[in-house]
Amino acid sequence: MSADIQTLKSLDLFADLNFGELEQIAPSMHLMKVTEGEVLTRRGEPARTFFIILSGNFMLSFKDERSFTLHNKGNIIGWSTVITPFWYKGTTTALTDGMVLSMHGQEFLNLIQSNSAIGDKIMRKINKIVSERMPYITGTLEKEA
Amino acid sequence: MFGLEAIIAHDGLSISVIGLSIVFVCLILLSFSVSRIHKLIELWDKKDQKTPPVSGLTVLETVPQDVQRTSRQFKLLIEWIGEPFPLPKLLDLSEKCGLSRPHSTINEFIKCELIIPAENGYYVWNKQVEEKRNGS
Repeated sequence: MSADIQTLKSLDLFADLNFGELEQIAPSMHLMKVTEGEVLTRRGEPARTFFIILSGNFMLSFKDERSFTLHNKGNIIGWSTVITPFWYKGTTTALTDGMVLSMHGQEFLNLIQSNSAIGDKIMRKINKIVSERMPYITGTLEKEA
Repeated sequence: MFGLEAIIAHDGLSISVIGLSIVFVCLILLSFSVSRIHKLIELWDKKDQKTPPVSGLTVLETVPQDVQRTSRQFKLLIEWIGEPFPLPKLLDLSEKCGLSRPHSTINEFIKCELIIPAENGYYVWNKQVEEKRNGS
């Protein structure tokens, strides 16, 4: 089932997009049920799917078992689908049942690359998230603290 | 008079039958009560749940009772791993130990702030919340 415009509009990632832009994205975003213990992404595997959390709780784990948890609607999983080398940097495990929006990674990348207005708005948000999560990936948290 | 003849004459057979019966009845009663112990423990736990929370302990009010019970098992695992501990390791270990629904339980601990993130991507057991819980 595809996502509706209102749902997309309520997500921080798409907050800056206008109605027409959201209409372009909506058919590619699919509602997906997630069950407790399900693994959405695995570190080191090709990043094929991008996810946005609608409900539920998730744990993202990285090298040396560093991890953090995501609990809020709009949190994203799988930004590696649009950033080289297109490999998942972390493993995502559902801590509870939940709902996510999923989008095929190649489709998401094509959308960003083909439409500069959409690409710019989305990549600005994704870059901010990447910079927040990068210390977990590189293991530089202690130095920052 | 000796042997079987003497036993029969002094009601030895009936006495031994009664003796055997007493021993077996006691053994049956003992095994039955042992098999009911878990019910008694459940009743005891339920009694604990009905205890009203101490006013002022806001953290306690947010910790569900079943989480409080399970926390003892997880605390042992965390002590074994050592602090600060990696969350995936706790999850893995709790699955191997066969603990019930470890994913959602760990999530509850995080929400109740019994498990809190340390600054290096690892987690610690929140002793403050635990002390308040033990103080109730």
